[in-house]
Amino acid sequence: MYDPTIRTVVEVVSAILCFILLRFMIKPYKLTGEGRYLGLPLGFGFLGVSYILGAIAFSNTIFSFRQLAYLQLFARTFAYCFLVVTYYFSKKPAEDSRIKWDITLSLLIVGLAASIVTAIIIPQFAVDSYQATQVYVRSFNIICLIYISIHTLRSHIEKPDPMTIWIPFGFILLGISQYSLLIWAIDESILAFNGALVLRLAALTIFLLVSYTTFNKSNKKVV
Amino acid sequence: MKKIPRRDKLKIYGDLLMILNDQSKTEKIILTQVQVRMGVPFDRLKNYISDLSELDLIDEISLKLTEKGKQYLIEYAKVLDFMKHMGLAYQ
Repeated sequence: MYDPTIRTVVEVVSAILCFILLRFMIKPYKLTGEGRYLGLPLGFGFLGVSYILGAIAFSNTIFSFRQLAYLQLFARTFAYCFLVVTYYFSKKPAEDSRIKWDITLSLLIVGLAASIVTAIIIPQFAVDSYQATQVYVRSFNIICLIYISIHTLRSHIEKPDPMTIWIPFGFILLGISQYSLLIWAIDESILAFNGALVLRLAALTIFLLVSYTTFNKSNKKVV
Repeated sequence: MKKIPRRDKLKIYGDLLMILNDQSKTEKIILTQVQVRMGVPFDRLKNYISDLSELDLIDEISLKLTEKGKQYLIEYAKVLDFMKHMGLAYQ
């Protein structure tokens, strides 16, 4: 049975996990000052915002919840886009990719602003096309997550380390979670919906554990 | 021949601090050994060392890491480790 309370709780917990992760994800950018690593905190930040919007939208307390649901869908997609471009540009030499990264980031921000404006100014569009948009957007999210999973898996194969396997595993779980939500959007399978929420929480917990373990290991082990 | 990717200054300083930290476990830091491990010309290595000492990250005479240098290296190594775990390359 679909329970909006459980969904709201899961969305809030996911958002909290994302905002904690944000603290760790910003460190590569703070240390290197390289814009291409900004996609990591932006990605997890937008993911957190999308879960907050989802929590409000699906708690059925706000009249225009469809509009918010539409916004959370787009925020999540842009979160995955930010992560994809970060992984894409991380392999390129810094001096070659700087301008390309700036252009890509600008385009993503323009796209994000345009989609927010569309959902707010033309609410009929957001309400009428939510179901169809959900299918397309989630399919796109799955493609993004497949790309990130392959990228991180390749990094693990190049330099195997017991810790590096967890991150691709986490992204694969997020991908399966999106796939389950896609199934739920198409045939309203509650099992797929509940599975998606559990997988998402598992993936975010893995990211948090990896981050926490890395930054809290003994200083003697580091130097 | 294997092509060495270009490193930015931050990466060079980080690598140099790691090498100096490794070398400080031996009795004396030998600059030629540091130079070989760094893969940079000697005159440029001297410049990097004076930069690090100006930043108070290493001792100018013994070339050993100061407390500030050790703290910086710990943070640097942790972030590099994190990036590696996240599957991100830093070059």
